[in-house]
Amino acid sequence: MTTQRILVVDDEPQIQRFLKVALTAAGYEAVLVGTGGEALKAVVTRSPDAIVLDLGLPDLDGKAVLRDIRGFSKVPVVILSARDQEAEKIEALDLGADDYVEKPFGIGELMARLRTALRHAAGAPPAPGVLRVDGLVIDQDRRMVTRDGTAVKLTPKEYDLLTTLARHAGRVLTHRQLLTQVWGPAHADDTQYLRVFIGQLRVKIEKNPAASKIIRTESGVGYRMAEGE
Amino acid sequence: MARPQDERFNDKRPDPDALLAETRRESRGRLKVFLGAAPGVGKTYAMLQNARRLTAEGVDVVIGLVETHGRAETSALLEGLSVLPRRKSDYRGRELEEFDLDAALARKPKLLVLDELAHTNAPDSRHPKRWQDVEELLDAGIDVWTALNIQHLESLADVVEHITGILVRETVPDKVIRDASDVVLVDITPDELIQRLREGKIYLPETARRATERFFTPGNLTALRELALRRTADRVDDQVADYLKRKAIEGPWGASERLLACIAADDAAERVIRRTSHLATGLNAEWFAVHIERSGATPDASATVRIARALALAERLGGQTLRLSGPDPVKQALKLARRENVTQIIVGKGRQDRWRAPWRRSFAEGLARRAQSVEVHVVSAGGASKPPRAKLASFLDAQGLPSEGLVAAVAVACAVGVGRGLALFLRLPNVSMIFLAAVLFCAVWRGARAAIIASALSFLAYNFFFIEPLYTFTVAEPHELFALLIFLAVAILTGSLTGRIRDQSAGVAKNAAVTQSLYEFGRKVTGAANADEVLWAAAAHLHGMLARPVVLLMPDGDELNPHAAWPPDIQLDAAERSAARWAIDKAEPAGWATGTLPRIRFQFRPLMAVRGAVAVCGFEPPSREGPMSPQDERAIAAILDQTAIALDRARLSQEAVRAASLAENEKVRDALLTSLSHDLRTPLASIAGAASSLRDLGDRMSAADRADLLASIEEETARLSRFVANLLDMSRIEAGELRMRRELVDVCDVAQTAIERCRKAFPHAAIRASLASGLPPVRGDARLLEQVVFNLLDNAQKYGGDGETVVHARQEGGEIVVSVTDDGPGVKLADIERIFEKFYRGGKTDGRKAGTGLGLSICKGLVEAMGGSIAAQSPAVRRRGTRIVIRLPVEES
Repeated sequence: MTTQRILVVDDEPQIQRFLKVALTAAGYEAVLVGTGGEALKAVVTRSPDAIVLDLGLPDLDGKAVLRDIRGFSKVPVVILSARDQEAEKIEALDLGADDYVEKPFGIGELMARLRTALRHAAGAPPAPGVLRVDGLVIDQDRRMVTRDGTAVKLTPKEYDLLTTLARHAGRVLTHRQLLTQVWGPAHADDTQYLRVFIGQLRVKIEKNPAASKIIRTESGVGYRMAEGE
Repeated sequence: MARPQDERFNDKRPDPDALLAETRRESRGRLKVFLGAAPGVGKTYAMLQNARRLTAEGVDVVIGLVETHGRAETSALLEGLSVLPRRKSDYRGRELEEFDLDAALARKPKLLVLDELAHTNAPDSRHPKRWQDVEELLDAGIDVWTALNIQHLESLADVVEHITGILVRETVPDKVIRDASDVVLVDITPDELIQRLREGKIYLPETARRATERFFTPGNLTALRELALRRTADRVDDQVADYLKRKAIEGPWGASERLLACIAADDAAERVIRRTSHLATGLNAEWFAVHIERSGATPDASATVRIARALALAERLGGQTLRLSGPDPVKQALKLARRENVTQIIVGKGRQDRWRAPWRRSFAEGLARRAQSVEVHVVSAGGASKPPRAKLASFLDAQGLPSEGLVAAVAVACAVGVGRGLALFLRLPNVSMIFLAAVLFCAVWRGARAAIIASALSFLAYNFFFIEPLYTFTVAEPHELFALLIFLAVAILTGSLTGRIRDQSAGVAKNAAVTQSLYEFGRKVTGAANADEVLWAAAAHLHGMLARPVVLLMPDGDELNPHAAWPPDIQLDAAERSAARWAIDKAEPAGWATGTLPRIRFQFRPLMAVRGAVAVCGFEPPSREGPMSPQDERAIAAILDQTAIALDRARLSQEAVRAASLAENEKVRDALLTSLSHDLRTPLASIAGAASSLRDLGDRMSAADRADLLASIEEETARLSRFVANLLDMSRIEAGELRMRRELVDVCDVAQTAIERCRKAFPHAAIRASLASGLPPVRGDARLLEQVVFNLLDNAQKYGGDGETVVHARQEGGEIVVSVTDDGPGVKLADIERIFEKFYRGGKTDGRKAGTGLGLSICKGLVEAMGGSIAAQSPAVRRRGTRIVIRLPVEES
């Protein structure tokens, strides 16, 4: 397997500095740029395998850069964002970013997000088949969901919701993305609706619905299913 | 004729006006009127019986005031009901017992029973009439039951007078009945009533017994009963129409008519108003009453009174009133009719018309000729025509007559003297010209009436002194008699025409003066910066105009306080203050000559701006007798309107300033948040990232990479601690808790230390020091001064570009001057003052430049605390760079 190339778009020299060292040590090739303009150029000339994109750039809005990239490329993008940029973060995810990491972050978290994004990009769509997580088995070929060997009875909508999450296991899905895929574009803003269904689903599939391990809540953003074992 | 009013009924939606009226009805108390045709039909009895029933059902009923007139059966009904104590009122030694309005408002029962709606209150009451008390009770949300005889209804007053021959003085406006929730007709037959009268069951005051007995005839009672029945039936009709409108049921209520009553200062005016009100009630139409004054004309006092009275009547009857003036009253009336969609005009035919020159058309005729889609009704004055004697009396009666007669007599005597004198030397062919000159002189000096008097005197004098036989009033020659009569006619005609022109030009001059004074006032208040200045200008101006005390009040929170007054030391008593309160709360005039507290010194008028009453103006009227002249009225209204507008403007401009400073604060807070989040998070992210990288991936890194990450952690920690230190310093300076030592400090030492610290923080920085040796010390805090110089250097690194930074220190007179000059692009002239403001940052606004916007403001705070000053210069050298200069006083040894 050839060395994967990661494009880092961040204008803070100190952040560039440790990301370069860390990415190199993790076996990636790091390409560092400081502005949106350079980023777009680098996507074309260096064809990176994934991009780490800071939302606050000096020249262009990070979202504008993302929109431009999505215009011609499906390269996975992980967003670096601040806590107070929640709305922008969600917008970026809806625009097609694959995941996000909130500053300040540990390198392990960023690496995990990058790996998931790279994997989804490589095998897209991820093999349906069977997903095992925390004692739950989702067998999409046989349309069967079992919990420690016993079948779990799900309504069709619950099943759709669960498999949508499973197909993107390890990745965050925004409320809007989930609502659009399961209920259709007309319900894109019915977050309340989604919350109720997730609650029901958790009661049926989680060992302890109060501290859910399978479906994690990303506050204000969406939900993320744990990666399979 | 399609009109917008009709269109809204076409779709089946409820009429919004009807719905609105309904909600207003809901918050207001409900009025129930027990209506009777005459005294003695049993209104009070019926009212009390119902009140007892409600009390038994547990409703909170209070008897406000009921006259039992000693009748046992009525008194018995009062047993067990809660009765409000009466208010004792002392009027000219006589003790009167009155309904206690304030006690009723304070008690606030669900339902208040108050007899005799048409009653006139004692002079010291808040309102002259009881129906006004009732209005206030209803406004306060209290339900009221009351009793009324049909003859007291305003619009029926003349009809009742016509039927019974009794003049009704106590009247109640029709709108009170119209807006009542319920009207209950208490009815017995005339025969029964007369029977009761004979049995002594009807109370009548002893004095009025004879007159009133004449009133109780079967004919009168039948007519009154019919009036009462008809009025009640009309109300039922209205309710049905209202109900249909509210429920959007289509029905035959037809196009709504709008009526316009045009009144002149003649005796038909009140009749026109009443007629219009009748028509309007019958048609369920809105109506207006207007008086249009020919511009330039100066109405005399009695005409003014008559117009004011007629318009006040129109208001009581529920019409809207207007006063206009223009060169062509007919045109004005038609213009108003078009604008207000009027369908019918009612106009009076007064006897004044008889004095009009035969070639001029009367107002009514002109209106009839020129009106196109509008019906015109002409109402005659009715009654006996005023005898000519009265005309003569009014000619002689008016003020100024003696002096005008004197002027005329003197002028004619002079003419006689001049004529006789000239006749001694030369033979004049026509002496009459000299008398004509005298007549014209009178006309120009004292007006038309003086000219007419002079004409008459000239006629006599000419005859006496110049026509044979001399010194008699007889005339020998017929042709001379003829000449004499011609002279009289010419003298009267020219004299009165000249006089009228003079009167008109005087009117024009007066109007021009009023306009001029309004214009000046407008300029004065436009220049006023705040509300009080506006109010003072208004007080001074009104005082100048009326020559009477004027006071202007404005609400401060809940209180209404005088803000301007002329003379400035006016004190208001309790009644005056409550009238002022009334004026602003109800947005209607109160005090003298109004419906509220009419006996006090001042009249208070609300100043109406867009958002309602903003202030109150109180003034003493120019004359306590009769209403104000229309000129004064107009001028006051105009001044108050302008004042209200100016007050609104003053308030808006103040609010704009406040909003701007709020927005500014908001910006500062935003800048602070952006700054904090960026400046704290970036180093934290670097540190966390580098540390976790070292732990997770450290074993796969080269030794150099590991060292680099460790160095970056140290640098970022230093950056973070600088930022935190700045924040702490700032908050200490802000809180005034900066502990500053007052030691002797060597500035060069301090600068050197700061430069070394900066070299450590920015290893690539190029810094040159040019420090004079042997500088005297300054008094201050070495650590803080070092912080100042360091902040300046730090700033130079961030904004100054890659060029060299120069630190200078030297002595200038009694001051040590330290400057830090960078080689950057410089600061824009507009920003040079602002760079010392908190959170001001050069460069882009997204906070990408690493500055916190605190460094320079901290420097300023510290330097000033040490008694020094700080300033910025840009460009510093060769159109580049910024120089920050600190001056500190040398410590005297």
